[in-house]
Amino acid sequence: MFMLRNTLSSKGSAFVNHFKNAAKYSTETVSALKTTSTPAPQEQDKLFSHLEVELKGVDPAVLKSYSWFATKAANHLGIEVGECYAPRKAKHDRMTLLKSVHIYKKHRVQYEIRTYFRYMNFHKMTGSTLDTYLEYIERNLPEGVALKATSTELQALPEHLKDIPSVE
Amino acid sequence: MSQLTRFLERNLQNPSLRLSAIQIRHLSSQAEEEKSFDDEEFRVLNLRPTQVQRQQRRVYKKDEPQPPRTKVMPVDQDWPNVWPGPRTFHPASVPLPLRQGFTEKNAPPPSKYGNAELMKIPNFLHLTPPAINRQCEALKKFCTPWPKNLETAEKWEKHFPVEIVKSDYCHALPSVRQPEARKVSLKIKLSNLKFDKHSKDKFLRLVGDRYNHENDVLTIQTDRCPTKKQNYDYAQYLLTACYYESFEVEDWEATKSLADMEVYEFEHNKSKISTEAILNWGSSGDKKKVDPGFAKSVETLINEGENEYNLKKYKEESKKLLGLK
Amino acid sequence: MLRKLLSTPTLTTINQRCIATTAVNLKVQSGRYRITPKKDKPLTYEMANPPHFIAHRKSWNSWNTSTIDGGLRPSETAIEDIFIRRFMIGTWHSLLGAEVIIKRQHNMVRVALIIRQAISPRKVYFLIGYCEELLSYWLQCPVKLEIQTIGDRKDVVFKYI
Repeated sequence: MFMLRNTLSSKGSAFVNHFKNAAKYSTETVSALKTTSTPAPQEQDKLFSHLEVELKGVDPAVLKSYSWFATKAANHLGIEVGECYAPRKAKHDRMTLLKSVHIYKKHRVQYEIRTYFRYMNFHKMTGSTLDTYLEYIERNLPEGVALKATSTELQALPEHLKDIPSVE
Repeated sequence: MSQLTRFLERNLQNPSLRLSAIQIRHLSSQAEEEKSFDDEEFRVLNLRPTQVQRQQRRVYKKDEPQPPRTKVMPVDQDWPNVWPGPRTFHPASVPLPLRQGFTEKNAPPPSKYGNAELMKIPNFLHLTPPAINRQCEALKKFCTPWPKNLETAEKWEKHFPVEIVKSDYCHALPSVRQPEARKVSLKIKLSNLKFDKHSKDKFLRLVGDRYNHENDVLTIQTDRCPTKKQNYDYAQYLLTACYYESFEVEDWEATKSLADMEVYEFEHNKSKISTEAILNWGSSGDKKKVDPGFAKSVETLINEGENEYNLKKYKEESKKLLGLK
Repeated sequence: MLRKLLSTPTLTTINQRCIATTAVNLKVQSGRYRITPKKDKPLTYEMANPPHFIAHRKSWNSWNTSTIDGGLRPSETAIEDIFIRRFMIGTWHSLLGAEVIIKRQHNMVRVALIIRQAISPRKVYFLIGYCEELLSYWLQCPVKLEIQTIGDRKDVVFKYI
């Protein structure tokens, strides 16, 4: 709660002018957050509606083999596999240089780095399943492949937002 | 005696020393003399060192390399035990007749021995289907099933309306830090929050373009704090602060006059008074209320502008209001 | 620019004059080998295919995520790779049969080599431990050597030119 001054970005700057009594909420929010974060006697498992795995690599064949492995593992663990696809074109990062050491400006050559992408989607996982599965496939990540896992967690509405606040 | 015979032999071989053979008789004194003579002998220049035994050089004995392991592998071996983890290709451990490489003129590609191409490409020899099966069986005890009665999105949205989107990265670097991983976004459908008319209006003004009118979803994305946890707390805080602030009514809000209204509202305008005056012309007692259909048509006519449809609608509603056929 | 105009044109311009250079590819020379008159120059598969065949006929010698789109610390990785290569060439002097292959997985570096069976296995084991120990100390991450041996230099020769 250390950013009371600039709570919203410049688009909401009109709001900031009227946001004089924000400090009043900060205490409320802290207490509310504390109540949600205090561990319950039995810790509840988190729920994830969706997990998207993005793979980046230089060799499309390696990505294909890896996604085969990942979907197979997901099927074994009973995870619902959504669509898995790869964009047809790679991303090309080019650098143009002179071909010769000196003069001949018209003669150039290009270096190129291609990055291939591949996406996998998984649905409806509990927190423990997601952690287990993600750790398993990350451990078996082949060299030269980068992985980005975007998870969508489901949460209940916090207690302090459930009802209309009483205005004093 | 042996010395003597040796002496004789040498003298016989060497004709230049034949003179000394005469002195053979002086056996006793001979031994001494011979010794001194031996020391003074010229060294022989041996031009052809045939008789010199050449010293044997130690030959480095190379151990015969072991034959490849593939030759002793049984057919029904347990492959995941042979290749348990990620490893560079090794031809002596993989019993497959692999070949790799581009050749011209129909020549066979280079074999697997001494083939750098096969070593370069990442292999999945440790992730064969039986290995995946075995590992997944071991992992299954850490997984929990998805709860029942939450099968569809409608069901889980009812109980869990807030969605938190986070990203994790895995890459081949000595550090695990990735600045992009700090981003957190919070999504909620506004229908899950309770508002009155004033607070809803104020809330939408506060959140600005973070609200999507088409699907009624508010998205708050935070990336100003350095860690994910802080950004998550900050997103929660923003939602709370905006919600509570929207219920605040400032003093100056009461001074809002008719000219400050963004949209035309039938309730607060002159047309309501005049319509009611027309309806209750000359009658006393209970007042007639304006038909909500008419109010709606006036609002759309002024807010959306005059077009054929709105005018027609207004005409019909007016006729209905006045009881004209 | 202003300083240039104001200054006297004799000495300072000479001092400030420099040759404008652009980065050069040297496409005609780099990674290519000349044919010898006797056609007896041995080439490995790696040498036989010039750089523009990378990803078509031959693949990369370095596998990491720094070079791909959005990868972190590309320059550090490149410098470390060069260092590892030089270290390997010096340590396994005249033993290497092909280029050093460097694979990075998580925080681990795996170095794959093809070496000749010219020294005793005991020395090979020593050098493996030596390389792993020193490189892991310098790079601050686990380093593993994965070695394949060949009996003769000719085993890796792809063609003669």
